[in-house]
Amino acid sequence: MVTKTEETELNQLENQVENGGGGVWEYLSLVRKLKVRRSEIVLKHGLSILNDPGKRSALGPDEWTLYEQVAIAAMDCQSLNVAQNCIKVLKKKFPESKRVGKLEALLLEAKGMWEEAEKAYTSLLEDNPLDQVIHKRKVAMAKAQGKPSLAIEHLNKYLEVFMADHDAWRELAEIYVSLQMYKQAAFCYEELILTQPTLPLYHLAYADVLYTIGGLENLIAARKYYAATIDLTGGKSTRALLGICLCGSAIAQLSKGRNKEDKDMAAPELQSLAATALEREYKQKAPAKLNLLSSALRSLKISS
Amino acid sequence: MNLGFVVGVFGVLILSHAAYSTIQYRGLLKIMEEEFSRPPMNVILELIIGLALCMWAALTFPGKFLSIHPDSDENRAVSLPDSSEFMIFNHRGRLFPPEIDMKF
Repeated sequence: MVTKTEETELNQLENQVENGGGGVWEYLSLVRKLKVRRSEIVLKHGLSILNDPGKRSALGPDEWTLYEQVAIAAMDCQSLNVAQNCIKVLKKKFPESKRVGKLEALLLEAKGMWEEAEKAYTSLLEDNPLDQVIHKRKVAMAKAQGKPSLAIEHLNKYLEVFMADHDAWRELAEIYVSLQMYKQAAFCYEELILTQPTLPLYHLAYADVLYTIGGLENLIAARKYYAATIDLTGGKSTRALLGICLCGSAIAQLSKGRNKEDKDMAAPELQSLAATALEREYKQKAPAKLNLLSSALRSLKISS
Repeated sequence: MNLGFVVGVFGVLILSHAAYSTIQYRGLLKIMEEEFSRPPMNVILELIIGLALCMWAALTFPGKFLSIHPDSDENRAVSLPDSSEFMIFNHRGRLFPPEIDMKF
């Protein structure tokens, strides 16, 4: 979970590093802490540190963590030779290490040699059958080979044992959404909201899925979750504001034929408030697009 | 930080001195056989000073307070971490090797 202050700090360090200022090691540590994926920059600047023996020895024992980070970034940027060399150095230093074994299997995956990677992971699992990372890599391999149903099966088995793993639930929800199995995706997001109710991004994703499924009750529930997101982010989530406007007009359209029995009492003020907040935000951040927004909002209200 | 600590210790000492003088005052009243309604004015003044010093020290000594608003900049989640454990290398970026020739 990356907060706003951390994000600004990350961007600042990134600009500094890219324009030749110092601070490479702080940037790399921040990337490692926040678990973001910035492989090209990590590769370029990590290699510049590793190729310079003076800077390398200045790191002390953190040198090996840097090797690991650069190896993974190299695999992501498809520079497999660099990754191979890093892993060779690591293997020389830590010959019997499971962590290096995982990196080697990861390299096999990156090269596309699926059967060898599968064998490597199975042998690693024999030594340690409850290793979370290896189970997740098997899921990732199934995903990379284009077999989402197999990935879902593995992931479900994994979640039966390790029910508290947020990343896995999120991954499962995303796979379901990509396969258009929205009800199951909604279930996964509900699990996520139960375990971390203060994270507005889960409420937002759940509301999106509900809005996609459609139907009057789902639309009303989606509007409630968009409102919860706005509450948790203090009104700074543009997507949630737009979601409320769209939900409002969709609900009005669906309930046109019925009598006024549904709970639409909240609708008029909520929609107009969200529209005003949106226009204010656009005026501040993207005044050129304000006309587009106003005409879109007006057409929503007219058609409702 | 040190100043806060010293001020805090000083405040606690003043409070304990006020307590001691109140006990002594009660002993004096028992000798004179009068009722004990409230401590003398100087002890009350001492108590107020001790309270002010201790509160100031308690607020400055622990350091920076964290914000509790869920929508403040420090607590607001802007993005979730990219799930690096499910990362696949089979993406379209494979066809764009980095321009700089990396050697190791």
